[in-house]
Amino acid sequence: MQYLFSVIDDTAGLATPKEEAAIDVFNERLQAEGHWVFAGGLGAPISATVIDNRGEEPMFTDGPFLESKEYLAGFWIIEAADLDVALKLAAEGSKACNRKVEVRPFL
Amino acid sequence: MVAAVTRRFGDLDIAEEAAAEAFAAAVGRWPTDGVPPNPGAWLTTTANRKAVDRIRRENKRDDKQKEAQMLYNVDPPEPLGAIEDERLRLIFICCHPALAMETRVALTLRMVAGLTVPEIARAFLVQETAMGQRITRAKAKIKAARIPYRVPSAEDLPARVTGVLAVLFLVFNEGYLATGPGTDPVRHDLTAEAIRLTRLIRGLIPQDGEAAGLLALMLLTEARRTARVSASGELVTLVEQDRGKWDVALIAEGHQLVRERLAARVAPGRYQILAAINAVHTSARDARDTDWRQVVALYDQLTRIDPSPVVALNRAIAIAELDGPEVALAVIDRLEDKLAGYHAYHAARADLLRRLGRGQKSRAAYDKAIELAGNTAETAYLTRRRDQLG
Repeated sequence: MQYLFSVIDDTAGLATPKEEAAIDVFNERLQAEGHWVFAGGLGAPISATVIDNRGEEPMFTDGPFLESKEYLAGFWIIEAADLDVALKLAAEGSKACNRKVEVRPFL
Repeated sequence: MVAAVTRRFGDLDIAEEAAAEAFAAAVGRWPTDGVPPNPGAWLTTTANRKAVDRIRRENKRDDKQKEAQMLYNVDPPEPLGAIEDERLRLIFICCHPALAMETRVALTLRMVAGLTVPEIARAFLVQETAMGQRITRAKAKIKAARIPYRVPSAEDLPARVTGVLAVLFLVFNEGYLATGPGTDPVRHDLTAEAIRLTRLIRGLIPQDGEAAGLLALMLLTEARRTARVSASGELVTLVEQDRGKWDVALIAEGHQLVRERLAARVAPGRYQILAAINAVHTSARDARDTDWRQVVALYDQLTRIDPSPVVALNRAIAIAELDGPEVALAVIDRLEDKLAGYHAYHAARADLLRRLGRGQKSRAAYDKAIELAGNTAETAYLTRRRDQLG
């Protein structure tokens, strides 16, 4: 079973060196214990472009699809047997990156 | 039975429907074929078979492999006590921290206590369709997010038990002071179920002080149940109750638990302190013999770990017995900001004002309490009190 951990941020700053170091430790643990699938940090919402090609011509819109104070700053995709395992890992991930984390299962 | 089928098939909906079908089959067959030697096992086996049928009918492509696995994976005969284990698993899945608190209570009432959706909807004063949706959504989340169907590991158990106890306390309270115009003022089905489940949890972690404390609190409260509502359907206050009607066996068991916790010499939590307060009340043969000094001291202790306005209100009610209504009223009046929407705040105020001979103010407070109270017996009691004012 795979879960998406979305890192939710409401500050403008990138991860501090201390946070980055904690994230590295957490990532190594995920890899060592077989939970790791993929992870990454994202550019600021201002760098986003929304594309809608449902009509005749593709439409490009500058900026994120949703304007809000909180935004997706990065994510993990992890492998876990069930939600209890996922929630425990997410709690550690939240501590490591010092931000809120949303857990959602893949279908 | 729902628990047993859920464990096998990992799906609450299928388990629930299969159990209903098994009962229907029993109603159809037992009168003609006779009741089987082990009716419980017959029902579970039938429900399992119905569940397999149902999965076959739904014929989900992705579930084919799973289905085959389940058909051949016949569990060995379960030892005695397995049903209790199933119940525990069901409690832990219904009280999972990934579900909202009100959803946990609703799901526990539906899946563990077996209440119908309309009954639960009435208990929470919400529309039946809304409650039905809440339960359906919860089941969908359990399935999609894969909330595990098991008793948590020893390391996670204490944290998870705290959440379960909170749910069971809410179930008990809903039974003891049932809300809604159409229900009995005291719902013994709910209080009994809450006690039964708390016993199960206590059996799982006998060393946990709060599980013992909550069980003691429930027993000492339940012991007064028959004295709590008068023949005319009015709530009878603790001081006015016929103590001869109290259940001595439940009180003895509750007192024993409280003594055990005192002997443990570990700082008590909320439920243990509330149990101790109830132990003081149930130790007095006559209301006049109540050791109010001890009650206030226990509320002081409770305030240190839970400085909530509701605790302050209950402490003030005890203060009234120790230092008089004037002192208590001054304390209660300071809580108005936080408790103006709580019927017990106005009821306590009305009582103190009545005792101080301030009829007009007392009447206004009774009016407010009656307006906010949701329990029929309490409304009847408050109304009589108000109408007796000169």
